[in-house]
Amino acid sequence: MARFAYHRPATVDEALGLLADLGPDAVPVAGATDVWVNLRSGKLAPRALVSLRAVPGLAGLDRSDDGLTLGACATHAAVEDDSWIAGRLPALHMACSQVGSRQVRNVGTVGGNLCNAAPSADAAVALLLYDAVCRVEGPGGGRDVPLDGFFLGPGRTALAPGEILTGIRVPVPRGRTVAGYHKLTRRKAMELPILGVGVRVTLDDGGAVSEARVALGVAGPTPVRCPGAEAALAGGPLTAERVEAAAETAAREARVRDSWRGQAWYRRHMIRVLIPRILLGC
Amino acid sequence: MDGVVVRFTVNGEAAAVRVEPDWTLLRALREGLELTGAKEGCGAGECGACTVIVDGRAVNACLFPAVEAEGAAITTIEGVAAADGSLHPLQRAFLDSGAVQCGFCTPGMVLSAKALLDRTPRPTEDEIRTALAGNLCRCTGYVQIIEAVQAAAEEMSG
Ligand SMILES: Cc1cc2nc3c(=O)[nH]c(=O)nc-3n(C[C@H](O)[C@H](O)[C@H](O)COP(=O)(O)OP(=O)(O)OC[C@H]3O[C@@H](n4cnc5c(N)ncnc54)[C@H](O)[C@@H]3O)c2cc1C
Ligand code: FES
Ligand code: FES
Repeated sequence: MARFAYHRPATVDEALGLLADLGPDAVPVAGATDVWVNLRSGKLAPRALVSLRAVPGLAGLDRSDDGLTLGACATHAAVEDDSWIAGRLPALHMACSQVGSRQVRNVGTVGGNLCNAAPSADAAVALLLYDAVCRVEGPGGGRDVPLDGFFLGPGRTALAPGEILTGIRVPVPRGRTVAGYHKLTRRKAMELPILGVGVRVTLDDGGAVSEARVALGVAGPTPVRCPGAEAALAGGPLTAERVEAAAETAAREARVRDSWRGQAWYRRHMIRVLIPRILLGC
Repeated sequence: MDGVVVRFTVNGEAAAVRVEPDWTLLRALREGLELTGAKEGCGAGECGACTVIVDGRAVNACLFPAVEAEGAAITTIEGVAAADGSLHPLQRAFLDSGAVQCGFCTPGMVLSAKALLDRTPRPTEDEIRTALAGNLCRCTGYVQIIEAVQAAAEEMSG
């Protein structure tokens, strides 16, 4: 394994200063569950790691009436163990609870899952359903980036060099809501998804869908939303015909491919199956 | 060797280990402190043979940077039995239930189970399966392991 320096700054400013001084050879690290695997395989050979684990406050969960703010270093286990999140943001709870193993969830962070930008990132798909907004800090100050525009390609995000993710704001949907995340895998644990399917619909008082979100993992170069399927769901009641039509649209929109984990036709077929299963329980 | 000194407690005793920045906690425990109970299987977070408890949580020591252990309280399999050598109920139950064959996975299994029981003294079978999902066993077929955790939970919560 390549030799590198390991920095443990105590504040966000100190972390930003180190990243600015060390330049592109320095890599931020949180739970290290992706970084360490890549160091071992030689895929990553930085001169320095800048750890965010010792920065107080970055691992917190802040719950309020209008939403949740996750510190970038909040772990999947912290989400898994939180009944407030399970009740109000169930798709996020389902996604984080199914990452890897308990050992991986105990250190792996939600922020790391987003910044790693794998097409299969479980928490990323769920957070797209809730219109999450990333809080980014950098040498030029702070900015908010909607998660919808955060992923640029496999392993590529909107973070500029020297910038870090510090938090994720997740609004709680207002109104009666059905939401879920289905991780399609061969076995029940310790697997990346063949396909990740997330759906949320929020209904108005008359029972019509006022807001619809459909998001997919492993169905394109990044976790993605399906605008056509969302449009097909919005504006009418949650009937079997309308849900099936939306599922068909999502299956057509998806940029699925053949890979060793699964074939394109199968992924497309399972999009048709899983969207109705999440929304209608069938 | 240069490197840095990391201080933490292991099994209740203060320890200081000189490590390199690219060392894992597993290497610090095995090579620095000669605590060889935690095993390296895959080295990549997949098998759980390296599981130890850090500040109450089961972690894969093979993916845990050694320098991040600064100030932590760590439990390894060497610290699970009582000081007089009498076995922890989980260890007893693993032996009694036939949950050990070659034994390579056993330290990790026991620590994952201990982290569960410390938080959830009366787990359901599902909770046990979830807690042990990151620990692979090539010998036993898992049923006896789950039965062992159930037996220990029953004994411990009386
Ligand atoms: C055995 C195993 C099983 C896994 N199973 C799953 C699974 O089922 N589903 C899944 O989605 N993932 C899985 N993963 C991948 C990984 O655990 C997750 O992506 C996890 O959320 C990464 O978080 P981390 O804190 O460990 O990230 P790290 O490894 O610390 O970092 C990941 C990337 O993000 C960057 N980064 C991290 N935090 C920040 C920040 N705050 N600002 C800027 N950049 C940052 C790092 O530079 C790096 O590029 C698995 C990994 C392992 C080893
Ligand atoms: S050696 Fe750590 S998980 Fe396999
Ligand atoms: S007893 Fe041999 S691997 Fe589990």
